[in-house]
Parts: sequence; C-alpha cells; structure tokens
Amino acid sequence: MKETQEVLRYLGYRGKPADERTLRTIESCMNELRAAVTPRSLSLLLPVEFDGDTVLLGTLRVESGDLRRHLSGCGEANLFAATLGTKADFLLERASKIDMSRAVILQACAAALTESVCDEAEQKLSAEAAKRGLFLRPRYSPGYGDFSILHQRDLLGILQAQKKIGLAMTQDSMLVPTKSVTAVIGLTAEQTTCHIAKCMGCESLNCPFRKD
Amino acid sequence: MEILEELGKRMVFFDGGMGTLLQENGLGPGELPELWNLTRPELIEDIHRRYRAAGADILTANTFGANPIKLHGHSTEEIVTAAVNLARKAAPSALIAMDIGPTGKLLKPLGDLDFEDAVSAFARAAAAGEKAGADLILIETMSDTYECKAAVLAAKESTRLPVFVTMVVDEQGKLLTGGDIPSAVALLEGLGVDAIGLNCGFGPEQMKKFLPQMIQACSLPVIVNPNAGLPRTEGDKTVFDVGPEEFAAVMEEIAKEGAWILGGCCGTTPEHIAAVVRRCKDLSPQPIVPKNRTVVSSFARAVVFGEKPVLIGERINPTGKSRLKQALRDNDMDYLLREAITQQENGAHILDVNVGLPEIDEPALLRRAVMEIQGISDLPLQLDTSDPKAMEDAMRIYNGKPLVNSVNGKAESMEAIFPLVKKYGGAVIALTLDENGIPSTAQGRFEIAEKIVKTAQKYGIEKKDLVFDTLAMTISAGQENAAVTLEALRLIRDRLGAHTSLGVSNISFGLPQREHINAAFFTMALQNGLGAAIVNPNSAAMMDAYHAYCALSGSDGQCAEYIARYSAQKTEAAPPPAAGEITLLDAVVRGLKESAHAAALKLVETQEPLDIINTQMIPALDRVGKDFEQGVLFLPQLLMSAEAAKSAFEVIRGKMTVNGEQTKKEKIILATVKGDIHDIGKNIVKVLLENYSYDVIDLGKDVPPETVVDAAESGNVKLVGLSALMTTTVANMAETIRRLHERVPDCRVMVGGAVLTPEYAKQIHADAYSRDAMGSVHYAQKLFSGE
Repeated sequence: MKETQEVLRYLGYRGKPADERTLRTIESCMNELRAAVTPRSLSLLLPVEFDGDTVLLGTLRVESGDLRRHLSGCGEANLFAATLGTKADFLLERASKIDMSRAVILQACAAALTESVCDEAEQKLSAEAAKRGLFLRPRYSPGYGDFSILHQRDLLGILQAQKKIGLAMTQDSMLVPTKSVTAVIGLTAEQTTCHIAKCMGCESLNCPFRKD
Repeated sequence: MEILEELGKRMVFFDGGMGTLLQENGLGPGELPELWNLTRPELIEDIHRRYRAAGADILTANTFGANPIKLHGHSTEEIVTAAVNLARKAAPSALIAMDIGPTGKLLKPLGDLDFEDAVSAFARAAAAGEKAGADLILIETMSDTYECKAAVLAAKESTRLPVFVTMVVDEQGKLLTGGDIPSAVALLEGLGVDAIGLNCGFGPEQMKKFLPQMIQACSLPVIVNPNAGLPRTEGDKTVFDVGPEEFAAVMEEIAKEGAWILGGCCGTTPEHIAAVVRRCKDLSPQPIVPKNRTVVSSFARAVVFGEKPVLIGERINPTGKSRLKQALRDNDMDYLLREAITQQENGAHILDVNVGLPEIDEPALLRRAVMEIQGISDLPLQLDTSDPKAMEDAMRIYNGKPLVNSVNGKAESMEAIFPLVKKYGGAVIALTLDENGIPSTAQGRFEIAEKIVKTAQKYGIEKKDLVFDTLAMTISAGQENAAVTLEALRLIRDRLGAHTSLGVSNISFGLPQREHINAAFFTMALQNGLGAAIVNPNSAAMMDAYHAYCALSGSDGQCAEYIARYSAQKTEAAPPPAAGEITLLDAVVRGLKESAHAAALKLVETQEPLDIINTQMIPALDRVGKDFEQGVLFLPQLLMSAEAAKSAFEVIRGKMTVNGEQTKKEKIILATVKGDIHDIGKNIVKVLLENYSYDVIDLGKDVPPETVVDAAESGNVKLVGLSALMTTTVANMAETIRRLHERVPDCRVMVGGAVLTPEYAKQIHADAYSRDAMGSVHYAQKLFSGE
C-alpha cells in the first residue's frame, strides 16, 4: 500500500485518488517487476573523520559541507549501493515500445521498488548497528546538496560494486542499471530525528514529486 | 609446456587469490592492485613464487584491471609488461596467464560503453600480455556475455594465444545481465575459446551445484576457480570461511565430476592451492563427451534444436510488406520492434531479421536493427541478409550465437559465409542449391547437403552447426514440389543426421487462401522431420497446426501446452464489451485501444480521413490534454488516450497513404542529450506530438550535439526538442543549443526534463521551456501556425 502511494506520487497524483485501471496496472507492473528482477545491495562500514568541511570516509576525502553536517556526530558510516539490475531497464525499454502508459507506470513502480529494496537493506544495517547501541542517519547520496556527483566513481570503486552487484556508472556519473542507488549512511550514538529527510532537505521547492 | 597439449592428460592447476593477499598487505579499498606491479614488485613476485611452490601450473599475472578504461592515466603496456615479467621471474618454467577482468563499465544499450571501444581496450591489454611473454589469456569474472564477447574477440584478433574464459553466476546460476549457463556456453564455444568455466561469486560447495549444467552444455575443458567460501568482516579484516582442507575436499569432487582445470579466486591462498594439488594431482581427468547439440543463443537464453520443432518468426522481412518497407525507409525502428515483441508474445522461439531493401545502407540498418531488437527481446536472432558485409557487421555486434541465414552449395557463398561462422560462431541455414540451381529431385538436394557438410568441415565447422533448408517451392508451379521437399527432409534427417528448416509459406505462392495449404504442409513437413520452420507466429492457423502437431507427436508432455493455450483462449474469445457501440472520440478519451482501432476501421469506410481527424481525433486529444493540465486526469490516463489515438491513427493514416494524401505535418527532432540515458520523458513527448500528426524524428538517448545539429540541418527541421534529467548533462544541452543556433539559425529549440526550470532554460538560450508533454504540443502548434 505504501508502495502504491509512492508510485502515485512519482506519477504526479499529489495525493489525489487514482482510477481503477491505473491501480490495476500498478499492481500488474509491480508483479511483473518482482518476478523478473533480482535486487542486490552491498555496504561497507568505514570510520568517519572531519577536517573542516572535508569528510574522511576511510581513505576517501569528500569536500562537502552538507555531507559534513549530515554526518556530524557520526564516528562511522556505511557506504551503500543497491540496484534492481539490468532486467528492470530491459523491461522499461520494452514497455516503452508497446505502450507508453504502461511504461510510465512501470518506471514509477521500478523507482518505488528501488526505494523498498534500499529500505529493507537499511533495516538490516540498522539491526546490526543497534547491537552496538548505534543508530542510522538517513541515506545521503552523491548529487545531494554540495556532495559532488563525481564521488559516484569513488563509492562504486571502494564497494567494488560493478564486480559484486553489477552496478556501474556512465562517463557522466550516472548509475547504470538506472534503477540504482548509492549512498552514505552515518552511524551515531544519539537517536536524532531525521533532520535532513530527503525531500525536506532538498532545495528544489517546486519539484513535482516533493512530499508535502 | 604447451598448455593445450597438457589438458586432459593430467589435472592442471591455476593459482589462487591475488587481491585478498594484497589487501592483507595494505592495499586500500578502491586502490588499483595493478599499480603494485610497479610500486611493490617484490611482494607480487613473492606471491607468485608461493603459488608455484604450492603446485600451480598456471600463474595469473596481476593484470585483472589492467586495461585503458580502468587504469585511466596509467600505461596499460607498462603495467602489463611489469606484471608478466614478475610472474615469469618468480617461476621461469610455469605457464603465465594474462589476466583480463571486466572494464567496470556497462556496455550499450544498458550502459554507455560502445562494444568496439570495449574490444579496443581489451585488445590493448591482450596484445601487451602476449608481447610480454604470457602463454595464455584468462578472461575471468565476467558477468555480462556481451562484454565477454568483446574480450574474446579482442584476444583472438590481437594475439595467437589460447583463450580461457571463466564467468561469475549468482545463486540462480545466472549472470548479472541475465544470461544462463547454456547460453553463455553457446556463445563462447561459437567464438572458439579453448576452455570455459566459473570463478568467484561463491565457494566450491555452491559452485559444484552448477557444474552439471556446465558439463551438460559444454564440449570443452571446464575450469573451476571458486572463492574460499563467503567473505565476512572480522574487525577491520575480511576473512573467508572455507579453509584449505575443506576447500580441497570439494575440489576433488568437482574434479571427479569432470572439471579439468582447478584453482581458486578471492580468499584462496597458496595453502588452499597446495591442498587442492595434493588431493587432485593423481586424478585422471574425466573424458569430455562431445555434445553434438545444434544450439543458438541470445544474451539470456539458448534454443536447442531437436527437443521440439523450433519456430522462427518471419515478420521482420520487408518482402511483400509495404508497411515495414515504409518503416525501414523512415528509420522507424519502433514499428520493427513492435513486430519483434508481438511475434515473441505469440510464441516465436527465434526471430528472423531481414532489412534488405534497394537503395538502403543495409549493413548500417541491419546493425542498428539487431542492436535495438536485442535491447527489447531476449529471443535469439536469425540474421538474414545476402550482403556479406551486413552479415559480418551484424554477427560481430550480436550478443549471442546467432542463426545465420544463409549459405548455399555455391562455392562463392561458402567462401563468404563459413569464415564468418568460424570467427563469430553461429549455426547456419544451408540452402540445398548450388551453381546448377535447385535440383528437381530429393536425392539431388541431399547430395548438395553432403557437399556443404564436407566443405564446412574444411573450415572447422561441424555438421551440428548446419541446418538444411530443402527449399519449399510453390505447388502452383509443379505439383510434385511438395513431395520432393518432404522427401529431402527425410533423407537429411535419416541419412545425414542433421537438422532441417523451411520457409513454409513459399509452398502456396500464387494460390488463393494460402493459409490452408501452408498449415497442412507445415504439419506434413513436421511429420517428415522438419526441425525448424520460418513461419508467421501471428497466424492462428499456423500456430494451431504447430500446437496440434506437438500434442500428437508427444513433444508436448501431457498436452500441457495445448491445454493451457486452448482452454484459456475459450474464455478470452468473448467479444470485448460494447466495442461496436462506442464512438472514436469516446474511445480515445477513455483510453480504449482496441475500441479506438475498431471504431476507426468502421469510420474510414464512410468518412474522409481528414474529417475523422478533425471531428473525432483532435477534439478527443484536446479534451484529454486539457483535463490533464487541469489536474482532472493524470499522466497514465493521458498516455492511455495517446495509445488509443495511436492505434486509430494506424488505420486512418493507412487509408491516407492509399489515397495518396500527406499523412504527417512538420518534422520535429527529439533527443535526450549526450550523457543522459533516461529517456522516458522524451518518449512521452514523442507519443503526444505524433498524436498531433507531427513527423517526429527520434534520435534516441545519449545523443552527441553534432548528431542533433546534422539531423536538423540535413532534414531542414524547424523545431528540436531536447531533454535532460541531471544537472550534469544540462551542460551538454547548452552546448547542443549553442551549436544548433549557430549552424541552423531558423531552427527553434524547446527543452524539458526534471532539472530544468523556465529560468534555467532561458539561461542556456533555449527558445522555449516545456513543463510537461502537453507544453511541447502547444509550443509546436504555436510555432507552426505562425502565431
């Protein structure tokens, strides 16, 4: 149900009710995707240090005030990556040749499913952290705020994401397969409320997908 | 020691992990292990020496990522030379494998690495390895058949060394890009590699599970190089859970099941290899049973001849199909792709692809068609052309082992086709005709088949890779034609032991109601041993004959498929609700595709196409567009209507073509800018603009600025729509606009995409910003009406 709401948000419904046919198509697209894709994720725990606006994740140096603020108080962070794999892109391409209506719904479903896959993986990390009395900060990805998208290369390299889960990037730092996520997830001793939830922290105030 | 001589005489041993040992010595995450050939040579040499002492026959040079794509900035040749020299120095008498791992990038169309760029990168690595003195090439840890093909081609084209290939599979036995073991084996055997196997991924126990699949599909020596189990973190160290003795015990079982070459991957150490050598060195390799299977493959699946008659979809062939001819001349790939999908949905196992038309650049078009079809269909393809250049180009970029259509008994044909099959792999349709034409007797056709088998053998092509077409010729020209063809099928099956194929529908050329003859002949041919049929899978009569035959002949176990197909069809056969009642306008507004099509068919009988457009289509589209803009209905519904309109337009424009009327208005170019691979927004705009009869030229995604400019200039196009999703690619959008304005000043540019705003659009000098798909329609209407 939560996923359906997420799909409708991506489709621009902005909380308005959807018609029966669209809801049925969402269900059918979700089933098609779940049957076809093999989601994969991986993570690596690294120590976090700060040097002014520079964040040190293990040996990786990231110049980003936003990431520094996001990780403040964290002594460690997980580098994280997840992907639905190439089959999702294949199905999207195929759908776009026969029926664009189904294609946009399938695309929204794939995006929602990617989120779910991340959430599930994160729950496991959260359980691991809880054993050590630690809490997770929300995912923060290259491209958010001043955390340069060029760090995509570093994250994928450190995680060996191509070899291990088939996640690569293009010359312009876009993730391929496209239904994929990389992120930094801080670990902290205090259970802070999610102070930079993805939408609220974003500067795109007019974004059609923004959560109210 | 000649490696290929040794294989099969005794067990041969690879070394074990390199990366894990380097990490123990301080290699950081993300750091390139290959650079240590230069900075820590003594350590690398020592690891090689320890593996040699453990009993490894083959030492893998530390060159896994040593290719120009991964090393960016460092010299591939320098690193490869250093790496091979270190292994040689550590063990002068060992065999040295030039190790080639993946580029770390994803190939087009899923990623942005061009196939030929991948080939060039691998070729540089392979050539450097041979020059430095490597004895063989090991292509390993491959999880994508396409990249694997690029690496094998590179190794074969740029060196004379033996080529070993190992791949990674997941828990389901699939490659990361979806291929299974039989399809990967078909591809690699076709390419002529020397040994095939599995590495990395998981430990020996799990890998053992996939060995039977490998052995059953493969007629080559099998390599098994597992990890030392699964990695886990202990403190800040990565450790693996399978120790040397446990590892070796499973490897012994693997050897007894038929693997010839054993070694290790991540987490394995000289101790693991020593234990494997101790346990396995005195085992005798199990003899390889040649599989003699006729098999073709796509990136995802293999189709094996002989299990069940194979259906080859014939629809992608312009002969006699005016709509397809038009689509090919207009570069309208979508039409062709829809034909591919429909045939697959209707049950085709393989798709024939023929785009030959006079005055067309067939090599370029066939290459493009193959690329695009393998992006949306996972069926193996039958590459169908009489132009050897087109055939070679298509075979080269095909992601699998193709069916090649065709060769015949003429010396010239065999000289052109067999070398291609030898190089790229493939099964070939062999027509039983030669310089003297088509023999009128079955015996004559059989003799040509024998000749083709003999000639193929000279090229190293086995009989299993030949599928004979005994040539169906119309009975309207000679009543004995059917009998001769059928007898030839039997002769080839029984006396030659080879598979057969026919273009079934040729039998009825010139007769009325051809399907009756075709279906009956199809059944007769199947009964006479036909192995594959080139048919129209969209024809109910042909598919009925096929399914009935399979049920009758016992190849459809318990008639399961027959029952599933026909009991389901009965319920679906009910007429669609009120299809005849609804007006075209209503059907479009409500987004009912079938009803819109039906209503259009009815209307064109009595009304002029232009009237239908003006009184039904445009009002419907305008109404839906307005509702969308006012938030009454949403994107999925807007597009349902657009698809309904599209199916009606197929009918209306068909009629206009017959009438000789202009079917489309002004040309508009659409492209997703360079660097951007998300094209759903652009595709939405395209459907809507086409609904309003604009002639959309879709340049696709990741389109370089010069391609857009060239297309606008050469096509005299007055409007270009560009889309970009990411801030990083807006720079490419700005550049495209700059060049367009410079070279094609009277061409306007509208832009859209998630990151754009009206201000941003102005800043990069776009002429218009479109916030959604309807916005682009409005701008086009305004521009072309001269308002």
